Amino acid sequence: MIGTTLRQYPCDWEPIPMRDNIIVDPLAHIDSAFSFDLCRSELPVAIELGRGSQVLDGTMLDVGPNGRVTVGTCSMLNACWLIADAEITIGDYTMMSWSVVLMDCYRFPFDYRKRREELLRLPTRPGRKSAAPAQANPIHIGNNVWIGFEACVLPGVTVGDGSVIGARSVVTEDVPPYTIVAGNPARPVRQLKREEAV
Amino acid sequence: MTDEEIISAPGLWTNGKTPAGVILGNGTRISGPKAFARFKSEQTNALTIGDLCTMDGVHFALNKDARVTIGDACAFYGCVILCEKEVRIGRFVIMGWNVVISDSDFHPTEPNERMLDVIACSPLAEGRPRRAYPSKPVIIGNDVYIGHAATILKGVTIGDGAWIEPGAMVTRDVPAGMRVLGNPAQIIGPVGDES
Repeated sequence: MIGTTLRQYPCDWEPIPMRDNIIVDPLAHIDSAFSFDLCRSELPVAIELGRGSQVLDGTMLDVGPNGRVTVGTCSMLNACWLIADAEITIGDYTMMSWSVVLMDCYRFPFDYRKRREELLRLPTRPGRKSAAPAQANPIHIGNNVWIGFEACVLPGVTVGDGSVIGARSVVTEDVPPYTIVAGNPARPVRQLKREEAV
Repeated sequence: MTDEEIISAPGLWTNGKTPAGVILGNGTRISGPKAFARFKSEQTNALTIGDLCTMDGVHFALNKDARVTIGDACAFYGCVILCEKEVRIGRFVIMGWNVVISDSDFHPTEPNERMLDVIACSPLAEGRPRRAYPSKPVIIGNDVYIGHAATILKGVTIGDGAWIEPGAMVTRDVPAGMRVLGNPAQIIGPVGDES
């Protein structure tokens, strides 16, 4: 059983219990401890926020019992929604805009018979939320990625370093490094010049 | 409350008394303050929901002639149902947040008709009625999964067991057991093929 500690951040009116398996770098910025309210992970390290990373403005990290989220150096999560039943890793210097959804699982099984079983039990589940084991495939977002608003990344997708995902795209396949993708489903639009990092 | 009590409890809206014309099955729960903010239906069976449904933050925006039926054991989270005449949803249907279902475009397409409609919607109309605009029923089968931010437009029929991926814009019928994705939504294969 993971313990909790009361923590208060700039947007909180009062201290909010936060699970002890959420590791926040002293130089990370968090707007509100409420962002971690849906974290139910039982792993020793459920969420790790790197140096200078930011979790802003109503971001929600919905992390299942075996889920894990890692955010690298100086990465910014601006009102996004992360659904992690397996693993979501976000590299360094990555920006994510508002209402971006990264989901590594669909929360309900593909087999309709299993869905029916879960739906019949749903009224008695805590918060009436699905507790069915659904297949999860990790999402990996590289370094220096920029994700436009309301874009959605589907389970199992890897986004390469330096890429840009256009607003409202739905990313269904891996994105190569230094590529702009856009659309629903997202398709490559243009290659970006690869330069030596400053 | 024990599990049996939850399942056999009469259906309720956690934020107040449901408007007239709303029939809820046992174990069904509607939550969210805005659930009936745009509910204008005058039908006696305006909204019928079966047993064991979870309607979390759903907006029922029903116009005066609207009739919506939802089957047993459905789970809808934060979606919007815009209904002019008829929306029928089967059993064991799941809908993610920001899903929109609409059985009408709510305004005419022809430019002149549309201008008259805009005037009829404005304060200059002084409450005079608007001209009728087309509506086609939306019918959703059993065991359908609709991912978040998907949109189901007027006249669409979705077959049993179909899987609508997140963000899909469904403009045409979806055959039973198929998986669709994209804008406009295209069939990407049968459900059960995923590795």
